[in-house]
Amino acid sequence: MDSVLGNFILALRGSGIRVSVSESIDAMHVTDLIGYGDREMLKVALSATLAKTLAEKEIFNATFDRFFSTDVPFDHACDLEGATEERGDEEIPLIGRMILSGNMAGLAVAMSQAALSVDITGIQFFTQKGIYVRRLMQQMGFDELNDFIRTLRRGGDEEEARLANILEQGREDLSDRVRNFVERQYDLYAGSAAEGMIESYLKNARLTNIEQHHYQQIRIIIRKMVKNLRDLHTRRKKGAKRGQLDFKKTMRSNISYQGLPFDTRWKMKKIDRPKVMVICDVSRSVSTIVRFFLLILYSLNELIEKIDTFIFCSNLVDAGSVFEKYDLEEALVRLQTGTGLDIWMGRTDYGQSLRDFWEGWAGSLTRKTTVIILGDARNNFGDPEVGTLKKMQERCKRLIWLNPETPSLWGSGDSEMKRYLPFCHIARECNTLNHLEKVMHSLL
Amino acid sequence: MKPIHDEKFSTIERVQREFKEAGYVCSRQIATTVYLAYHLCKPVLVEGPAGVGKTELAKTAASFLDVPLIRLQCYEGLDESKALYEWKYGKQLLYTQLLRDKLDQIIKGENGLDGSIRKLHQYDDIFFSMDFLEPRPLLKAIQEKKGAVLLVDEVDKSDDEFEAFLLEVLSDFQVSIPEVGTIAAVTKPFVFLTSNNTRELSEALKRRCLHLYIPFPDQKLEREIVRIRVPDISEKLETQLVAFIHEVRKLDIRKVPSISESIDWARVLMILHVNQLNVDLIQDTLNTFVKFEEDVRLVKEQLRSMAEKAIQASHT
Repeated sequence: MDSVLGNFILALRGSGIRVSVSESIDAMHVTDLIGYGDREMLKVALSATLAKTLAEKEIFNATFDRFFSTDVPFDHACDLEGATEERGDEEIPLIGRMILSGNMAGLAVAMSQAALSVDITGIQFFTQKGIYVRRLMQQMGFDELNDFIRTLRRGGDEEEARLANILEQGREDLSDRVRNFVERQYDLYAGSAAEGMIESYLKNARLTNIEQHHYQQIRIIIRKMVKNLRDLHTRRKKGAKRGQLDFKKTMRSNISYQGLPFDTRWKMKKIDRPKVMVICDVSRSVSTIVRFFLLILYSLNELIEKIDTFIFCSNLVDAGSVFEKYDLEEALVRLQTGTGLDIWMGRTDYGQSLRDFWEGWAGSLTRKTTVIILGDARNNFGDPEVGTLKKMQERCKRLIWLNPETPSLWGSGDSEMKRYLPFCHIARECNTLNHLEKVMHSLL
Repeated sequence: MKPIHDEKFSTIERVQREFKEAGYVCSRQIATTVYLAYHLCKPVLVEGPAGVGKTELAKTAASFLDVPLIRLQCYEGLDESKALYEWKYGKQLLYTQLLRDKLDQIIKGENGLDGSIRKLHQYDDIFFSMDFLEPRPLLKAIQEKKGAVLLVDEVDKSDDEFEAFLLEVLSDFQVSIPEVGTIAAVTKPFVFLTSNNTRELSEALKRRCLHLYIPFPDQKLEREIVRIRVPDISEKLETQLVAFIHEVRKLDIRKVPSISESIDWARVLMILHVNQLNVDLIQDTLNTFVKFEEDVRLVKEQLRSMAEKAIQASHT
């Protein structure tokens, strides 16, 4: 495969498009057919073979434009006849000659060749940029050029000095180009590596410690995570109803055996997608982490169809409307402060909130429902209403409690976690994105 | 498909031109993808909103190549016996009844069960031969000697199992029938799969296809489409109509009007002998392209301003 296409595919993978080997082979056939002559056509054609969803097509277009961006040509084809004539061509180093003759294509080729030989695709961190610039220059013969300029200067001849000036100018210009080139390559190839590292760091960091400026990234990670989960789980699964004969199907499949039930078919049932109800504590004691809870809830709300969300502090309200009506930023602020909702942001009251839930929405709890409670169970020494939680647990399929505190703190002080524990199907510590992801998996 | 139609697929421009002659105005993107699909012998997965001409593309391809169009409409529960082949049970039974005497004659000489069966063995393939096979769309497409256009419509509606099964057929273009053997395509059919994105298709299927996303066209392209489909339409009306439809598409409504609906509307207006749009007229014919009660209300609220914009469009 030619290296341009190979590098392009590498860049695509770097930007998050999964390109399989068979697809790269297709892309190769495509370039054979179409050639590199027509930019737009090449874009369309490669897009058909490499990017296979609408989202991927957008990424593809951006990467394509970046990758096949064109440089402004050199404008150094100046009047040099006098200067070069008396010198044999052999004396001037190759790139010097190219600068003098304004051989733009030659320089570009030299640069790509140098890039190939120093394997620029390996660039990963921005600190490496300097090294790669240096290596590229070396490979292209900057050292020889410098030596040559130095000898010219030493001569003291006026003509030679003029030549040296022109060469120096050309060298500066070229080194700028090399720098730009490396910059671009860094954008293309390093993006994914750096992203991957930050991502893995953020996933493992405690949510309370993550700084505000990583917030956007967290948002993207969460979206990715939720999307993955959704892709995995939205398909309705089939399970066998054990021991029940599907009479119609059996009849049909056994016509060929004269109706003898030789090949039996059994009834299958479709397992439906889960129905989820999430109850989230938004009180001050969990305020650092609640943003992330809400973020996850928001993403889930966008992606999963059947989900009901509630928030509570001193009492409990349905927050579904906020998710639907407002965009993310607005919704988060509204939920955290309770604007426009009938919520009282006083002391956290788990007892009252559970009671509210039971009175208002107990009817929608069924054997298919999964209830998730996000909160630290710190009830300010009020009545925890354990009985209500028990009733809820009896009615739903699963009750999951996610607590941002580590288990050793459960039950300490005003934490009622130990008393709630017997009535949770699953109770987990949840304060990093990885925790969250695991829980979501087990949920779906 | 190769190599019978090589000439028709000589250049992308030619594909584009001939599709247009067949009544399908395609953007360069569509023409390029079709061209590539032919030369790479790959299926095309066409996605896009409802009514942008995904199915129409396959139909036009069939008439362009002058080969039959074989259509497989997918739905939940579609299985091999409906997509690939089925034995003609009735015919098999009938023939065994009719041929009972003949069978008796064949077995007559033999006394033992062993001998009879051995004798029958010489003939047993008769009832499981191509004569008793009912080919379904996939097999039919493979059997076509001169190639065919196979349209697997709304593949996202089918089950996962069927999608997996489709992979096998699409990558090798051959089908194995245990009783008969493997049937490979003489000429590979030209395959189009369409999807409305009701669910994500599997990576494996996407990998094997070229992917084409057809968005709603821009005004220029849509005018061209309307002109080709409704040749009698005046230029003024056509400009206004397309401009209005584009205004409606900007609204946040449940179902945005598709290209096919713009064409329908154009036809309706032709029947009414209309030369240019006005507010009353739009109000009366609104139901040809807005199909939900709430949408109708929403459009009506802004009808006047949108109509003005559309009518202006023809003056510029």
